[in-house]
Amino acid sequence: MTKRLKQITLLILLSVVISIIFNFVSGNGIPLIGNWPAAGGSEVAVPPSAEEGDPPFISLDEAAALFQTPGVLFIDARDPEDFEINRVRGAVSIPYDYLPEEDYDLYWENKAIEISHDTRIVIYCSGSECELSLYLGRDMVLYGYEDVKVFYGGWSDWVNAGLPMELEE
Amino acid sequence: MNKFLQNDYLSLLVRLFIGGIFIYASLDKIYHPSEFARIVYNYHLAPGDLVNLVAIILPWLELVCGISVVLGLYKEGGIAIISFLTVVFIVAIGINVIRGVDLECGCFTVSSKARGNALSLLFRDLGLLAICIYAWLNRSKRFFLFKQ
Repeated sequence: MTKRLKQITLLILLSVVISIIFNFVSGNGIPLIGNWPAAGGSEVAVPPSAEEGDPPFISLDEAAALFQTPGVLFIDARDPEDFEINRVRGAVSIPYDYLPEEDYDLYWENKAIEISHDTRIVIYCSGSECELSLYLGRDMVLYGYEDVKVFYGGWSDWVNAGLPMELEE
Repeated sequence: MNKFLQNDYLSLLVRLFIGGIFIYASLDKIYHPSEFARIVYNYHLAPGDLVNLVAIILPWLELVCGISVVLGLYKEGGIAIISFLTVVFIVAIGINVIRGVDLECGCFTVSSKARGNALSLLFRDLGLLAICIYAWLNRSKRFFLFKQ
């Protein structure tokens, strides 16, 4: 057993040394510590303008888990043209900037027929430079939706993680 | 059964197969570290700071262990590491199957077109693990380039 351990140690040491040296001398080496976005995974991204009482923000992992959960509806708050091009698989579009200013109450009354108030909802927009998901989330809570979560990592984190999506034909 | 386990020729075949697979698998990744780093990142398992180190070291570990197993030089250690790596791959793919992530395998190539069906990947790796276990149990030292 000690012989095997010795061999394992040697092989690992050899690989580490060769790989680091090769990475330095080869033309296409990469930095030893990469600059990968920290958001995503289990970290919860929260918009700078978040206030107390806002709907809860969720991490990429939570969003991915909810995506697998039956009955959870993903809502895309981006502009319709963005939604046309690509979206989270099965998401529906509620473009916040395009909602009617007049008869806003009526809009949500009609919406409640389509999407019932007890639906579990995850809202996203394009990512960390976008607050549409937060604004839409606040309004949906205001208009009676009981389970609204905001995935602030949004579309960019979703794509980076290679999670299921739909693209324009 | 013991005869089958300790067969010299089967031992050689298994060593060439496992070692060959790991050598072959390592090359494209060694040549394209930045593409492989992106694939490692997309598995969302390694902490961000460690992604590049994994992408740099892992392919060389595959290559070194592959060579060790093929040559019969430190084969015990090489098989142990390869078995461990295979278990890590199975767990990594399994976690992403549960997450429902459509991931790039990064198994043999860094090409993004190589999006295999994750379940068939799992079965492939389980098969590989079974062969590793055989190599682990087989103590034949015939056809070793270096007799330790």
